[in-house]
Amino acid sequence: MSFATSNTKISVRDDGLRKSNHHPFPRRGFFQQVGTGLLGTALADLWCRDLFGSELTHITPVSQDLTPKKSHFQPKARSIIHLFMNGGPSQMDLFDPKPYLDKHHGKSFFDKIAGEVESPQSAGALMRSPFQFSKHGQSGLWVSNALPHLAGCVDDLAVIRSMYTTNLTHEPALFKIHAGQEMPGLPTLGAWITYGLGSENQNLPAYIVLDDPRGMPVNRTQNWQAGYLPPLYQGTRFRSTGSPVLNLEQDFEEPNEITLAERQLIQSLDRLHQNKRRNHPQLSARIASYELAARMQLSASDALDLSSESEATKEMYGIGKEPTDSYGRRCLYARRLVERGVRMVQLFIDFQIWDNHTGLADGLKGACHRTDQPIAALLNDLKQRGLLDNTLVVWGGEFGRLPIAQLSGDKDEKNSGRDHNKNAMVTWMAGGGIRGGISHGATDELGMKAVEDRVSVEDFHATILHQLGLHHEDLFYMRNGLRERLTGVSDARVIKEILA
Amino acid sequence: MNPDLLQSMKRMADQPTSSNLDPFVFRAGTLCILCSVFCFITGVFDVSGKVAKKREARFETDVLPILLSHCSECHGRQLQEGGLDIRETSFLTKGGKSGPAITPGNPNDSLLIQRIREQEMPPREKLASHSVKPVGAGELKILEQWIAVGAPVTDKITENISEVIDEGIRTEDRNHWSFIPPQSIQFPHVDLTNKTGLLSNPIDVFIGDKLEKKSIWFSVAAEPETLLRRVYLDLTGLLPESDEIERFLSDQDPSRYSKLIDRLMSSPAYGERWGQFWLDLAGYSDSEGVQHADPIRPHAYRYRDYVIRAFNADKPYDRFLLEQIAGDELTDYEGSGQITEEIYDNLVATGFLRMSADGTFAGITGFLPNRLDVIDDQIRILSSSVMGLSIRCARCHSHKFDPIPQQDYYRLAAIFKGAMDEYDWLRPIKSSVGKARYLNQVLPKEREQWQRNEKEITTQIDLLNEEIEAHKKQEPSEEEKNETDPRIKEIEKTIKQLEANRRPEPLIRALWDRGQPSPTYLLKRGDYRRPTKIVTPGVPSMLTKGKSHFQPSPPWPGAKKTGNRLALAGWLTNPDHPLTARVIVNRLWKHHFGKGLVETLDDFGKAGASPSHPELLDWLARELIRSDWSLKHMHRLMVGSKTYRQSSTATTDEADPDNHLWSRMPLRRMEAEVLRDTLLQIAGRLNRRAYGQPDGISARKDGLVTSNQTNGSWRRSIYVIKRRTERLTLLDNFDRPRMSPNCIERAESNVATQALHLMNNKMIHELSQALSARVMKEVPESISNQIDWLFQTVFTRSPKASEKEDVIGTHLEIKEAWIKGGEKPEVALKKAMANICHAMMNAASFVYID
Repeated sequence: MSFATSNTKISVRDDGLRKSNHHPFPRRGFFQQVGTGLLGTALADLWCRDLFGSELTHITPVSQDLTPKKSHFQPKARSIIHLFMNGGPSQMDLFDPKPYLDKHHGKSFFDKIAGEVESPQSAGALMRSPFQFSKHGQSGLWVSNALPHLAGCVDDLAVIRSMYTTNLTHEPALFKIHAGQEMPGLPTLGAWITYGLGSENQNLPAYIVLDDPRGMPVNRTQNWQAGYLPPLYQGTRFRSTGSPVLNLEQDFEEPNEITLAERQLIQSLDRLHQNKRRNHPQLSARIASYELAARMQLSASDALDLSSESEATKEMYGIGKEPTDSYGRRCLYARRLVERGVRMVQLFIDFQIWDNHTGLADGLKGACHRTDQPIAALLNDLKQRGLLDNTLVVWGGEFGRLPIAQLSGDKDEKNSGRDHNKNAMVTWMAGGGIRGGISHGATDELGMKAVEDRVSVEDFHATILHQLGLHHEDLFYMRNGLRERLTGVSDARVIKEILA
Repeated sequence: MNPDLLQSMKRMADQPTSSNLDPFVFRAGTLCILCSVFCFITGVFDVSGKVAKKREARFETDVLPILLSHCSECHGRQLQEGGLDIRETSFLTKGGKSGPAITPGNPNDSLLIQRIREQEMPPREKLASHSVKPVGAGELKILEQWIAVGAPVTDKITENISEVIDEGIRTEDRNHWSFIPPQSIQFPHVDLTNKTGLLSNPIDVFIGDKLEKKSIWFSVAAEPETLLRRVYLDLTGLLPESDEIERFLSDQDPSRYSKLIDRLMSSPAYGERWGQFWLDLAGYSDSEGVQHADPIRPHAYRYRDYVIRAFNADKPYDRFLLEQIAGDELTDYEGSGQITEEIYDNLVATGFLRMSADGTFAGITGFLPNRLDVIDDQIRILSSSVMGLSIRCARCHSHKFDPIPQQDYYRLAAIFKGAMDEYDWLRPIKSSVGKARYLNQVLPKEREQWQRNEKEITTQIDLLNEEIEAHKKQEPSEEEKNETDPRIKEIEKTIKQLEANRRPEPLIRALWDRGQPSPTYLLKRGDYRRPTKIVTPGVPSMLTKGKSHFQPSPPWPGAKKTGNRLALAGWLTNPDHPLTARVIVNRLWKHHFGKGLVETLDDFGKAGASPSHPELLDWLARELIRSDWSLKHMHRLMVGSKTYRQSSTATTDEADPDNHLWSRMPLRRMEAEVLRDTLLQIAGRLNRRAYGQPDGISARKDGLVTSNQTNGSWRRSIYVIKRRTERLTLLDNFDRPRMSPNCIERAESNVATQALHLMNNKMIHELSQALSARVMKEVPESISNQIDWLFQTVFTRSPKASEKEDVIGTHLEIKEAWIKGGEKPEVALKKAMANICHAMMNAASFVYID
């Protein structure tokens, strides 16, 4: 792959990508042939000329659009798939073995961490993991037997064991992990990325959210909002069944030829309107948006149409069997969307399956059963297709969990779970210029607190932006006299240790 | 003890895994913590545990914040459980039912210390519900140390800000253009030889002067219909009806335009349009947000109604601010006996400072930092909307661009402390813990109506219950013995229905001073765990002459109020205030002319933009004050100007390509609410009922959110509930802002989802059918007349010949297609007309304003 280096040179993406797409529309072909995000005004100009012919000799670029923008430096990843694990997966039961807990199981510990417990009334003693850990892959990373499929991919993962956040309640912690601060109303990571980079496929939204048809996550649509950024940068929900996007298809019955005749009338009225107002670029953009809307209707349905996928692929993702079908489909959609140049795909899973306050042994296992195979399949599939190199895959939740037990109402130890923990959480990244087969940082012996090479949420965001060619300090939006940034005023640091 | 060490002790307060953990638990990484604990022990205490003499802990700045953070929920102003109040040393020595809380000189004998050590206090089971954290090890040490040295009472800090001259603010800082009051202006001379048209008012002199200097001039005057549409949408957010268009066009009076402006501004629609403008700035929302549950604010609508009424009544802007910032300190609402409309309005107005997202209704999102965030949001709302400044940087450090030292932020926080006190918090929802922020001073009429309603329901239910009792006393027949009597079932059902008709008590979500603010601490780096010195109320120093003008006094004799916010409001609305008038006229200008004279609407500071027409800005600001702060006067000037009345067509493209000089009017897209309201209006489905509880919304399973109709019509968008989690899809798609915490300037995006919504959405389709039915009813004869009517109604203009031809051709084509599809000719005719209407609702001529 090569990058556009000057205003005139436009490069062609590697062939593997193009082959997988057969599109009836030349425009999309055009977008699929252009490079990987390092296309500034040259492309915007070309795009405008392409759409409007030669009549527009100069056009003030409409700043609030989704045309590809120049990144700050050469990116490692073109797209990102964020596998968001609602509820806060337990670090010491998945990736961070704590022999200390086996040894001191049952020992009282609450007094020492009273201020860090969300529900003090149900706090129990130190609790060992019900899962067994072993080393995997050439790298020998530790993974518990709750994740047998992912264990086969460890050589592609950089497991961050030393992440922490700042709030131990779901809502503020979700705002924090998605938007950098604990309060509502701020732009999310995906909105920032879309604002910074635009999209390479103008027929699909730049930032697509695949939420679980079974239910919305906590904080609902606020998890992918644009906050104070213009709303066009917010995530667009793609539904797994029916029409993928709101209002994508006509919500009333009408013969196609009539719709077309009406559309033609709109277009001719608008052209006339525009011809009388030559100095207003937003009118041209509006006409274009109607054309794009029509094309999006086809592209979006096509992107979610799995009929062209082989049986072997579907089987690999666990599609067609429980409990993996639903999440498996969304993982496969994610690959198809990234393939089509979508900048950010974010997967949610219903409500908060990782929030194992009680019955951790079964609950966590259940969550793993639903996601383990699909995620491993996604990584392998991306790799096979050569997509993993420029797709950053990120896994993680909003916080971690405590080393002590949280007792259920019946106080039966077998039904114990773990309460929220803001001082330690685990995430991993893969692909997109990330070094595989490493674990970064460490928690204390209990897994209570990240102590070595601590990674803040800001560091996490800065690293993701970095892989996409964006510097977190240079990606800002002027508001109330300030440069507002995803990483705020903190001294965020890119986690250089996990970069390839 | 040296201050830094004391700080580090405080910091440790929130580090649970610090000094008292089993040492064997920690190895790598905890070493530094252990080290600091070690240093702390050797540095501050000698081996025997006696206190070193470097600096003793002071009650006011070291001890009190700890007690307030951990104890004041149950032993503070609102509650004195066990008779104990921790807010003063003397209260502690006196103690409560169990005896003195402290024994000066002997920490080990002090109940306070014992209870904390044994973790009885704060009680574990109340931590989450009361939003309290356990006392940290470092904090406990400070308490112990203070008691050990005899629990000395230090003098209260009596720093009087008005006497303090701030260091670090230089004269040139105070000379920034926006920190100096607007100056009186000499009008420039504009040569009108060879120029078209007359200037309407001073605005045109300033604009014309700059144009002339560039050797260009205004664009041609806008067509009357264009101007009519523009000014209707600008002032009322609605379109002129066809009879209104005719009335205007046929009026021969040369003053027809100024008559029109007055007519529009006296319509209730004006307040509904401009009320929204203010609600954006206030961050209005009908729900709390923060938590997933996103609870509704059932009383918020009163503030929305207040704002609409204020705009319609042209309430002077200084009074409008005064009421919103300090309405509770304007009249003695508790001692006045009768609640008048004025008192009611004053209290409702304070809802301005109750709008930000607020999770403190729940224990786990109601801790100290959460409360401080709510206060911070309100300071942001006030400073960005009214003052045009960003002050919030100073929460953590002195401002980098503007001369705002950190203590200026805390001075403002101290002003609000009488009403928003993080140590004495009023919750946004009534609960079993603490008090809520509602007043019941609604108008007697409303209260009586509510009481009547409740009483009536109670009477009816009582009667029904009597009937049940009577029924039960009757001898049951054999068959009835095993089942509930059907009559009883019926009555119980009726009772349930009656219960559902009960209404919540009418309350005002208000902000009021309670007279006994806790101290306001300057927080090191904004960290609530690191209180330093005490700051007293005051205004930003750069806007003073080095000495604060801030002189609060109790608002009326014997008032249990600090008067702090009243003094703030008085300062802000002083005619010499350099920012207040400039900021609001600049906003009005932005809304009429597309961008501000100062483009950074919320930043008049050093990093903000300079005014493009400084003399005009100052003239407008002074004119606002001269007109007794009449916003309608400003509208009249602005929309009456030649500048406003010119065409949006560029005649001088080359010299002013970006229209910085206003050589033409900008072309604008309808705002979200205007789009929805006018769609409803042209379809004849707009319900003009004003005020009251907001209309509900429904979310479809796929996420589409629509507003609920009543009898086939919908109210204006300002009356639709504004929840943070569920937002009307149509408005969302067209850039209705999310409040974070407010919105200063809306985006105007142009994306495919907007096209998809207008083309494919069911409601838009239904509205096009309604419009079609309307045109066929109003204009029964001839397609040509119908098209004329439609163009007038939707685009406020007549069709061009080519357009008409196009539309009629398409109408015919579509009608044929419907017939071919099996429709009867009459039906096909109607359906084809609906398609035309649908196309027009999608057309740029409708959505854009020239």
